[in-house]
Amino acid sequence: MTVAPEKSDVDVPEGYVKLTIDGEEIVAPKGELLIRTAERLGTVIPRFCDHPLLDPAGACRQCLVEVEMNGRPMPKPQASCTLTVADGMVVKTQVTSEVADKAQQGVMELLLINHPLDCPICDKGGECPLQNQAMAHGRTDSRFVDKKRTFPKPLPISSQVLLDRERCVLCQRCTRFSDQIAGDPFIDLLERGAHQQIGTAETADVLDAASHTSEPDSASAGKSASAGLDSASAGKSASAGGQPFQSYFSGNTIQICPVGALTSAQYRFRSRPFDLVSTPSVCEHCSSGCAERTDFRRGKVMRKLAGDDPEVNEEWICDKGRFAFRYAAAEQRIRRPLVRNVETGELEETSWTEALRAAADGLAKARDGKGVGVLPGGRVTLEDAYAYSKFARVALRTHDVDHRARAHSAEELDFLASRVVSDGGPAGGGVTFSDLEKAPIALCVAFEPEEEAPAVFLRLRKGARANDVKVVHIGQWASPAVEKTFGELLACAPGGEAGAVDGIAQHAPDVDEALRSEGAVVLVGERAAEVPGLPTALHRLVERTGARLAWIPRRAGERGAVEAGTLPTLLPGGRPVTDADARAEVERHWGLDPGTLPADPGRDMTGMLNAIVTRDLDGLLVGGVDLDDLPDPALARKAFDAAEFVVSLELLPSTVTPYADVVLPIAPVDEKSGTFVNWEGRRRPFAVTLDGTGALADCRVLDTLGVEMDTDLFTQTSDAALGDLDRLAAATARAAAPDHPSAEPPAPGDGQALLATWRQLIDDGSLQIDEPALAGTARRVVARMSRATADGLGDHVTVSTDRGSVTLPVEVTDLPDGVVWLPGNSPGSKLRATLGAGHGAVVDIAGGDR
Amino acid sequence: MSTSEKAPLTPVLTKRWLSPQSWRLETYEKLEGYTAMRKALSAAPEQVIQMVKDAGLRGRGGAGFPAGVKWGFMPKDEEKPHYLVINADEGEPGTCKDIPLMMADPHALIEGCIIAAYAMRSHHCFIYVRGEALHPMRRLHAAVREAKQAGYLGHDILGSGFDLEMTVHAGAGAYICGEETALLDSLEGRRGQPRLKPPFPAASGLYAAPTTVNNVETIATVPSIINGGSDWFRAMGSEKSPGPKIYSVSGHVERPGQYEAPLGTTLRELLEMCGGMKDGIPLKFWTPGGSSTPLFTADHLDVALDFEGAAEAGSMLGTTAVQVFNETVSVPWAVMKWTQFYEHESCGKCTPCREGTFWLAQVLERMVDGRGSEEDIDTLLDVCDNIGGRSFCALGDAAVSPIQSGIKYFRDEFLALCESNRPARAAGTVASPEPVPGSDSQAAQPVGAQA
Amino acid sequence: MGIFDPVKGFGVTFGMMFKKVATEEYPEIGAPAAPRYHGRHQLNRHPDGLEKCVGCELCAWACPADAIFVEGGDNTEEARYSPGERYGADYQINYLRCIGCGLCVEACPTRSLTMINFYELADDNRQDLIWTKEDLLAPLLPGMEQPPHPMRLGENEQDYYVNGPELARDRGVPEHETVETDTEEAVR
Repeated sequence: MTVAPEKSDVDVPEGYVKLTIDGEEIVAPKGELLIRTAERLGTVIPRFCDHPLLDPAGACRQCLVEVEMNGRPMPKPQASCTLTVADGMVVKTQVTSEVADKAQQGVMELLLINHPLDCPICDKGGECPLQNQAMAHGRTDSRFVDKKRTFPKPLPISSQVLLDRERCVLCQRCTRFSDQIAGDPFIDLLERGAHQQIGTAETADVLDAASHTSEPDSASAGKSASAGLDSASAGKSASAGGQPFQSYFSGNTIQICPVGALTSAQYRFRSRPFDLVSTPSVCEHCSSGCAERTDFRRGKVMRKLAGDDPEVNEEWICDKGRFAFRYAAAEQRIRRPLVRNVETGELEETSWTEALRAAADGLAKARDGKGVGVLPGGRVTLEDAYAYSKFARVALRTHDVDHRARAHSAEELDFLASRVVSDGGPAGGGVTFSDLEKAPIALCVAFEPEEEAPAVFLRLRKGARANDVKVVHIGQWASPAVEKTFGELLACAPGGEAGAVDGIAQHAPDVDEALRSEGAVVLVGERAAEVPGLPTALHRLVERTGARLAWIPRRAGERGAVEAGTLPTLLPGGRPVTDADARAEVERHWGLDPGTLPADPGRDMTGMLNAIVTRDLDGLLVGGVDLDDLPDPALARKAFDAAEFVVSLELLPSTVTPYADVVLPIAPVDEKSGTFVNWEGRRRPFAVTLDGTGALADCRVLDTLGVEMDTDLFTQTSDAALGDLDRLAAATARAAAPDHPSAEPPAPGDGQALLATWRQLIDDGSLQIDEPALAGTARRVVARMSRATADGLGDHVTVSTDRGSVTLPVEVTDLPDGVVWLPGNSPGSKLRATLGAGHGAVVDIAGGDR
Repeated sequence: MSTSEKAPLTPVLTKRWLSPQSWRLETYEKLEGYTAMRKALSAAPEQVIQMVKDAGLRGRGGAGFPAGVKWGFMPKDEEKPHYLVINADEGEPGTCKDIPLMMADPHALIEGCIIAAYAMRSHHCFIYVRGEALHPMRRLHAAVREAKQAGYLGHDILGSGFDLEMTVHAGAGAYICGEETALLDSLEGRRGQPRLKPPFPAASGLYAAPTTVNNVETIATVPSIINGGSDWFRAMGSEKSPGPKIYSVSGHVERPGQYEAPLGTTLRELLEMCGGMKDGIPLKFWTPGGSSTPLFTADHLDVALDFEGAAEAGSMLGTTAVQVFNETVSVPWAVMKWTQFYEHESCGKCTPCREGTFWLAQVLERMVDGRGSEEDIDTLLDVCDNIGGRSFCALGDAAVSPIQSGIKYFRDEFLALCESNRPARAAGTVASPEPVPGSDSQAAQPVGAQA
Repeated sequence: MGIFDPVKGFGVTFGMMFKKVATEEYPEIGAPAAPRYHGRHQLNRHPDGLEKCVGCELCAWACPADAIFVEGGDNTEEARYSPGERYGADYQINYLRCIGCGLCVEACPTRSLTMINFYELADDNRQDLIWTKEDLLAPLLPGMEQPPHPMRLGENEQDYYVNGPELARDRGVPEHETVETDTEEAVR
């Protein structure tokens, strides 16, 4: 697809056509839009409504060009954003055609007649397509002397997105995005003609209410009917809250708005494009590893935008990735090392030297006693994970390391070791985002794409829309993601997923058949660890059908941590701990004496916590772990309380801080460089955004701590750490496949139900603090159950265990009977913390008072 | 009748209109009703299409696309259901032919629908009636009920094995819904805005299935073609525009109304039929086919009103809504009223039409108010140039035609408005405006909406 | 060389004794600059006393000497400093850096920032030459009210901006002096 030379005997490959643009011949693939062909020639045709990832609309009419077909000029200028190339087409753009140039100038003038002249105070000013194109293709003066159309501004269409209708050029990019890409068509056009505007059902009611109140005595017969309707709908919206623009992807509409009509509450008027410094970055929130652009000013991150990576996130990111970044600049962030004063029992600020010595002394003592366990948490970069992995083995001489700060199982360890680690990533034939788009079927098991990996959801939806990808979900209810991927739900009881997977050939033969076809994909979430036998069942399924399997955890660091070996059974590069050759290889590489590495696997997270309680382990080195994320927070608290010595590497005060003897502050992602490995196994390196803040990455802190303990990790910088890791060639041996029995889900008794749960994207996560506008777009926190289960409970349900209870409003949903679904970590519904229960547990349900 | 006997009235569609209770099935059946349908159902669908092609029937909705050719675009297979949609969203200012037709002779339309649906293998026909046209809608509903009871609609019509359901749908009052794709969107329950073409309705129309959209008058003409034959049909009108046409004459004439005459009739002849200009006040300007077609003046009295003749003279045939204005009407005022109509009815989808009509209306209002300037006339023309041919659908083109033609023929009047502060009162040539019949219509069919 | 030549030289001196003295008695007697001289800056007010500055920072951007620092803040229903959404919460001009070019005034979209003819911008320490918002704000004229307070003029924004000055006159704000005082009365 290169520009054709100026010869008429250009070869036209199959599936391509030859056309002439501004006198130059060019070969273009069939079906390509003219506007993009011209772009490849270097001619940028101005446009507003056109977006390469949205369906063509032809609404703004800015991209008009003159077209000649088969020697006959078309009578009118044509919109190049809707016209596909054809053989023998002769196109004249604004470069060579006066007609096209005049048409473009005319449309530009029309766009500007109702556009306010507030560029000086507009957020978009400086990066505004309208501004730029008005400079390039517009008139220098306006002939419009009459009254401009005005609207009150701004109009909040959600707590995060604000709309300035005066600035809107009605290109419909936002409505088309939310309809086509996100599948949340909560905004649409209202009214018509010059009064046309973007709005939501809620704002429509506002409009009606406003017109209603402006003429309160509209008692005329003609009016009364419509007035009655208005007040009825306004009343409805007041009670039900209308349907606000509730979408996990609403921020993208702000980014693709070609004018300053859509702004975010977070960024509005905070800075200007020309005083921001932009750096490419990678999202730290989920395992998709979306490309981002981080803009900062005066040492403070002002906004994050979606980066353009066609292989991963295309041009979209979710609202969490876009808006949740203020945690790094939070007031309470730990910026100086803290050491617990032995006398007062308080944590006190101290110098790095002192803190490191205290930490090293304490860890060395604990190591030489019963030993130290390492809990790095799931949000580490690959380099940091490697440093934890190496620190555990070299400085602490143990395999007691587990990054899984969530429900976990030994079966999952086998599954990760045999099916996930070192599968080579996209280069090695692993499942990729692009594969999702083209797969004949995508089976999601114990995985809620929209909540857990939004970029995956967008790809599934795109595939389902464009290529008829059949998306099948094994879950509990037809969640929004099921509907928006045009998916099929194979409902099962929580904990019954293994049985559902095993029995797929019986109860869904068409799915089983589809899984046998070329390119079929099975996606499994981290919730699989909570279902006994599910990893084994999935292994059996893919062995039997030949479908490819991908593990999509929730946290950004999980996959990298698996690669770096922060698991009790795995050394870096997927080497099994039990494999003597692998151990010897690692020992050689690390310069350890042969036989230094223990031959037995270490304890997993729960094992370590139990060991501390039973006094078989003395110390803990903890990364970013929230005790309330762990399968048993009560046990964790007991263990941390009992531990002799706890070192915490943290950004913000957490549930671990009260138990920590030494707290070492570490750098948030904006202030360090590193690499996330996304679920595909693709490395997503990022450079430092805010330089020179003095914050240190985990790998650097551990390296220095290692030096204090008389070992050298060679992880001073992330580059060094990565180099050290990469010099360990990938493992050749593979662990054995998981083989664990599955269990029937327990049968709940009277007044009991099985608990189904997963976390919502926007909830009470610790990386979402200080973001009230983002929190306002979270989904409603409700308890879901079938009509039969909800029968007799009333409006609210109290779900309880022996630890505590949660009371939430009931929403009747298509769940199996005897199952209650609750969000995992939302306001008023923190299941681990209050119930100590997770997916598949048996809970008591009763009618609840609010 | 005061008209001379050479006035070539050719009542074909209108021949039953004056019969008592013409809208009843009984009356219709007495007057050769549902005979054409029997003939058509006994022939092959291709033969019906060929017959309509041979007759040279052109769409009566404005654009004049040959109906037979349009039907021929429908796929031959029946992978997806085929739909026939009747565009009865008659809202073009000045146009009143479909509504009286549905009032007086709804069964003609239904019979036409059955024949057309049979020809294009459609088993569901929708009639999209303008929401304001309540009375015709009631008559249509009643007629459909009657036809169904008589076995002309429904399952296995008259034992031919052909099934047809018919739905009468009320629009919600938007001029743009006369554009065929906007009509389909509206029919689907969406916001009525024109769709991107291609895909054309014949490939992907209503519910993404093959669809043909035809005007009421086009379809109602079909039974008489089947009965009379293509040669009989071609005997009327001209070579390229054969057949009779309902001319709806309104404005300053003695007897406004619907006059069915062969295509190619001139205004002079029409005026004779109408009894001449009202009160003898001379003709000043007129529209050949509703407000969307460029104006004509008294110089165009002998222009043959068929598709070619009107186009040659610089206008369009449109819906043959002949609005006649005498010397008492100010052209800028009339043009302003029309422009206000288009501003109100612009759907808002594309920039030129949405913003352009907004601007044009403001400039014209200002000029009529006496606050205009000579530059405004140039601005008007230039803005018209930037709208015409640049908009998404034909509404933009329609909106500018009265302005462009008005300034073309009556520039002096516009100039006079600009001369002093209140020239509308000061200047003798421009009398105080009188309401223009038809211009207060709220919805209409854009030209080119359908064939 | 004539005999009177030495005396001639004094002629000029004598002559000057009867002419108007050009020396300015500064600082004993003030020396007002021309009314439109570009001296120090002033942050103007709307006729009801609300600030015109919206905290857009364009002045800071226009400044070639990097002498201006602005940080905007959000107006709330309880505390309104300017009409609209934002106001200049922090406003500083460093007169050690300012070169008096007036580009900031041109950049200001609300005509909040203007220059008055006050020119005594010298001091003996650096700190005092950084003028803050309190120093720069125009004095309250009769009828004006110290913000924060709600918009006092008119029913809505349209009224406020279009008819504000007229409505202000009824509140006693002197004509022609509602917003931009360019005389030395405005000295701090």
